[in-house]
Amino acid sequence: MSSAALKVPTDDIRICAVTRTFAVDARQVFALRDVSLGCEAGSFTALIGPSGCGKSTLLRIIAGLEHPDEGTARIGGATPQQKCRSGALGVAFQDPALLPWRTVRQNIALPLQVLGRSVSSAQGLIDQLIQLVGLQGFENARPGQLSGGMRQRVAIARTLVTDPSVLLMDEPFGALDQILRRSMNIELQRIWMEKRPTTILVTHGIDEAVFLADRVAIMQRNPGGIAQVIEVPFERPRRPELFAAPEFHRLEDEIAAVLYAGMAS
Amino acid sequence: MQALSVLLALAAWEALGDWHLVGQGALPSPSAIVAQWWQDRDIYPAHIWATLQPALIGFVAGNVIAAAAALAFMLLPALERLMRGFNIAIFGIPPIALSPVLVITLPGQWPQIVLAAVSVYFPTMVMTLLGLQDIDPRPIDVIRSYGGGRIAVLHWLRLRSCLPGLLGGLRVAAPAAILGAILAEFGSGARWGLGSFLLGSLGRGDPARIWGIGLTATAMSAAAYGLCALLGRRAAASVLAVTITPARIEAQAVARGRARTLRVLLGVGAVAMPFLIWWGVLKAFAVSPVIARTPWGVWQYLVSAPDAADARAGIIQALGQSLPLAGAGLLIALAVALVLATTGTLWRGLNAALLPAAVFLQTMPLVALAPIIVLLFGRGIATTLVVTVAVTFFPAFITIAQGLAQVPAASLDLVSVYGASRWQKLLLVSVPMCLPYLCAAARLVAPAALLGVMIAEWLATGYGLGGVLNTARGELDYGMIWAVAFIAVAVSVTFYQLVKLIEERLLTRFRMAGG
Repeated sequence: MSSAALKVPTDDIRICAVTRTFAVDARQVFALRDVSLGCEAGSFTALIGPSGCGKSTLLRIIAGLEHPDEGTARIGGATPQQKCRSGALGVAFQDPALLPWRTVRQNIALPLQVLGRSVSSAQGLIDQLIQLVGLQGFENARPGQLSGGMRQRVAIARTLVTDPSVLLMDEPFGALDQILRRSMNIELQRIWMEKRPTTILVTHGIDEAVFLADRVAIMQRNPGGIAQVIEVPFERPRRPELFAAPEFHRLEDEIAAVLYAGMAS
Repeated sequence: MQALSVLLALAAWEALGDWHLVGQGALPSPSAIVAQWWQDRDIYPAHIWATLQPALIGFVAGNVIAAAAALAFMLLPALERLMRGFNIAIFGIPPIALSPVLVITLPGQWPQIVLAAVSVYFPTMVMTLLGLQDIDPRPIDVIRSYGGGRIAVLHWLRLRSCLPGLLGGLRVAAPAAILGAILAEFGSGARWGLGSFLLGSLGRGDPARIWGIGLTATAMSAAAYGLCALLGRRAAASVLAVTITPARIEAQAVARGRARTLRVLLGVGAVAMPFLIWWGVLKAFAVSPVIARTPWGVWQYLVSAPDAADARAGIIQALGQSLPLAGAGLLIALAVALVLATTGTLWRGLNAALLPAAVFLQTMPLVALAPIIVLLFGRGIATTLVVTVAVTFFPAFITIAQGLAQVPAASLDLVSVYGASRWQKLLLVSVPMCLPYLCAAARLVAPAALLGVMIAEWLATGYGLGGVLNTARGELDYGMIWAVAFIAVAVSVTFYQLVKLIEERLLTRFRMAGG
């Protein structure tokens, strides 16, 4: 495990004074106001907050899907758009966003095709990824034939196919049931520890955030911004038993207190 | 059970036909039709081929143009805005009005090919464009997060996911191509073709033969529809998104000064474009000015020429005869379709039985069956109304039934909780919710209503626009042929825009009420 963790060619993420507004019925609404956040290379950060706090917008800005009105986002010193084109980013959304006419294998290969890389020389890697997410035997199935959890695992495998140095996830398990979600959390930790990409996870689940992240950034709304960042001290690999530990619950309560204080104001 | 009811229906038809119970033998028995068909078996292949060949060429050409246009409109939205007037004009052309214009300007098979292509263009273009534009937004984000731009999205996403739309368009277009080829034979004086065969037989009053030709044309259309439907089903199954697309946030309309000027310019261009293209085609193909009329020529004919007043009076009189009938036919068809579709939701199973039949019957070249309606109902107003209702009913019914099917179950459950009866559910929820579909149905079938009226007038009554057109064709009154074609399109487009306006009003009002 540690030998794999040694080769860490990852990028850090620097968000500097980012502001993003939307027009709602001719009124200006701040989705994000003067938000700054730094993530060290190889770190795992969770963004948590009520709906409308701008956490998805922040992630989309880091992914290069949206532009900030003010401020900058940099990945390893480069703009997100530059990083996109080199395949350094892996993005997973709440929805697996698979192409229904493609098989599992072809869906995983899509990023390579968009980047103009060879798919035939990556077949070995794709097989490895299918194994990593536990979908052996379903290589040639189409999304319609898979369960919700299996589709989400295809999407995770797809984000890893370019061997990204940055992993951005927007509630990737939001649509799954609690039991499936927990086993996916454990799998994600395993995958993350093997590759160690710099990761940002947007989530609604306090337990998910505490279990997976090195630190949890709690966001507030009106205007959207970061209220507090809380470090998560637990050793890795974290075991499922941790979900029942008292210190785990203490940290959950601490985060909940900040969240509800922000909502009450 | 179904086989039995079909057999019973055939037996009843046989009895009605054998004893000449309907319209003094206007409804021949199935056995008489088959016998007549068998007698004519030597001449059928030549007639079928003479219709099928140009229909096929027109189908291919029209669809290639339509698909290319859809692609261009997707890539350049301003172009789509500019060509909107032209597209609606093509949609609104009653083929029977364009047919004589083509016959006098083009040689040989060309009128058939062009009319088939024109009939095919709109459905394929609209459904392909919709397929290209209306795609799942989530995979777009995936492609963009790997630096993919518009071309990558087009390549990996749009081209593939527009296939069901394209094939759905082809399905509607296939019967339309055959109908176009048949209608171009009306008044062309061609020896061969099912349309010529039909007109020739109408004069001789041989019901069994007319029915045989009508049913042959129907079988051809159904086969073409079925073939395209089969292709479409295979493609559609593989494109359906596996999860529900989240509601899209609508882009805020930008009303900056420059954008507004551009919009006005494009709007003016959209109105001018059909005329420019009309003029350009005539110039490009150097059509003889004796035959051809440019937009200016039609203006002269109707307004500034010495005998313009006579021409105008003739057309106004014809409009006075045709429009009330087209309107009445349209209203009857919509009312019957609404009543049938809503009762279909009240008694479960009725729509399940009616809808497939309607989808099949929609593909019938009902216009080619008009002579049969003439046989059954004579040469009066009744025939005109029946033809008009027949050509408009099925598409209207399908659209309205689709609208009723879209009513969310939760809304119906909500009123059920308070003990609403079936009728209350219908009045409180279903009918208001399918109002936009009712408008869409009216808009979509209006040109068909005008077509139905003109066909009946051309073939049977001799009144109205159809009658004027037929007379003008006989007298080689080129000015009148062009003028009627122009007026028919103008009426169609005006009506289309009018309904669209009402539709937009309704939609914005509902959105306001909801927000």
